Amino acid sequence: MTFRHPVLQFTARRLLAAALVVLAVSALTFSFIHLAPGGPEQTIAGRFATPEQLEGIRDSYGLDDPLPAQYADYLVHAVRLDFGNSISTREPVVTAMQDRLGVTAPLILGSFVLICILGTGLGTLAAYRKGSGLDRFLVGVAVTGASAPAFATAIILVFVFGVQLGWFPTFGDGEGLADRARHLVLPVIALTLVGVASMLKITRARVAQVLQEDHVTFARARGLRPSYIVGRSVLRNAGIQVVTQSGVILLALVAGGVLVEVTFGLNGVGALFIKAIEARDIPVIQAVSLLITLFIVLVNLAVDLLYFALDPRVRAQPAGARA
Amino acid sequence: MSTDITAVAVPVPMDRRRRWLWPADVPVSVLIAGMVLVVMAACALLPGLVAPQDPALINPTESLLRPGGAHLLGTDQLGRDVLSRVVHGAGTALSGPLIIATATIVLSLALSLVAGYFGGWVDAIVGRGVDLLYSLPPLIVAMVLVGVFGGGYWLAIGVLIVLNIPQNVRIMRAAVIERRGLPYIEAAETLGVSPLRIMVGHLLPNIAPVVAACFFLRFTYGIVDLSSLSFLGLGVPPGSSDWGRMLAENRVQIFENAWASIAPGVALVLTAVSANFVGDWLYEHFERKGRTR
Repeated sequence: MTFRHPVLQFTARRLLAAALVVLAVSALTFSFIHLAPGGPEQTIAGRFATPEQLEGIRDSYGLDDPLPAQYADYLVHAVRLDFGNSISTREPVVTAMQDRLGVTAPLILGSFVLICILGTGLGTLAAYRKGSGLDRFLVGVAVTGASAPAFATAIILVFVFGVQLGWFPTFGDGEGLADRARHLVLPVIALTLVGVASMLKITRARVAQVLQEDHVTFARARGLRPSYIVGRSVLRNAGIQVVTQSGVILLALVAGGVLVEVTFGLNGVGALFIKAIEARDIPVIQAVSLLITLFIVLVNLAVDLLYFALDPRVRAQPAGARA
Repeated sequence: MSTDITAVAVPVPMDRRRRWLWPADVPVSVLIAGMVLVVMAACALLPGLVAPQDPALINPTESLLRPGGAHLLGTDQLGRDVLSRVVHGAGTALSGPLIIATATIVLSLALSLVAGYFGGWVDAIVGRGVDLLYSLPPLIVAMVLVGVFGGGYWLAIGVLIVLNIPQNVRIMRAAVIERRGLPYIEAAETLGVSPLRIMVGHLLPNIAPVVAACFFLRFTYGIVDLSSLSFLGLGVPPGSSDWGRMLAENRVQIFENAWASIAPGVALVLTAVSANFVGDWLYEHFERKGRTR
């Protein structure tokens, strides 16, 4: 062992793997885009371009260079956060993404925090009252929310709270902090409904399991406060599966976020991505798919590292031995 | 000795199978969900009998009517009857997920049986592959791939089939391993039954309930994922009466005739939720039985 600490060793190995994954995925998307019918020059020049115009564009963008050379060029620029300009809006891709993240980040993170709080809280409650009417009600609502597509939930929310009751705006992302927050209420609810079910179900199942274990019975016998038992004994033991699930949920929120943004007409990264796909705006497609890949890899890495924080048994083992 | 072995090998699977096929304690919610699925299937198979009008009949003079009268759910911008379009949409809404669920279950089942039965390095390879794919969220990967390639229904189906495999394999492989050590498998091995026959004839019938549960769950996710793609314009071509597509096209007119976009949304939610209820119940029903066994 070169690293003394197994956690460090594990982290280093995972970081290396993560970097390789990002590299491989970016190479794949890059070659897919360039192999797809039409080719980038067609997109830039439009449908009615003459062969001479296409030739000119191929030349100026270096499209006749071998693909690996083009990819290397792309990588060199990407490392400096230079993804070129959007073909349809001419604006630098990085600026466009920065603007859009102001909508997407609060949407996804807000929903994620709500899902964690509601999912673990209600899941624990349901486990304590397992089999009761409340339990069945919570599970029913959660399953309904989870199996409905995000855009369908979103449109029903728009209809009830936007059109019928008129409490919230139905479209757009608003200006200024307060207005934007108002515009984000329904989208955040829609996204929360999508993700909260799996959090609730896994928490409920795990907490119900842990409640049967001897150490909880013993803690109760010692007369410890119920709140202390939940915090120290139950949730800490149920935590591993809940953390794994939270990673899966956070990733599902990316896809859900795209749908919700489109349904509510929010100008987020997801909506930008869909517009770019429609317009075959290659620099934008490339940059957004790279951002998504990075996000997936980082979330998975964070989940792996959280195991160490939560489970002392994993920390004690050498890194490779974990299943 | 040999009579002993057959006595162990045959009755156990038969008994469990019969009990599963006729479950006495079906909750009301699951019954209703099952009926919803039957109605949807009827709409998908014989849309002409259920739908009051031609779904593609354009009538500009009756554009954006509110529900009532000749049009139970009103009309869309082109004056097409919303109810008829929703009924006809059941076909595309169910066929794609059916293909995805069937294909992904068949592939996962083969992988699970082989990995679970043989174990060793075969299991290790399958396990590694599954772990690798597990961290990829299917819908977003499908969005990126279909988007990058520029649309394509079959590409979307293919991606969703492959990326749904890991979840199934995790559940089914565990079920295979759980039964692999049971006496009736050992008995069959002693009798010299070939591995293929053990897998198909002895293991498969015993994990059938898990497979059925997985099928319904994948069907649910298939509905959600495919309709999401078509909502974004990445699935079926414009103009077809696909629910996701209809919702996207009529979204803008939500103040004129909200039902043109709400109705396909409600149909989607009903179908997906029903499939999930049935799948969930099968899974839990089976799991409970597995534990008390």
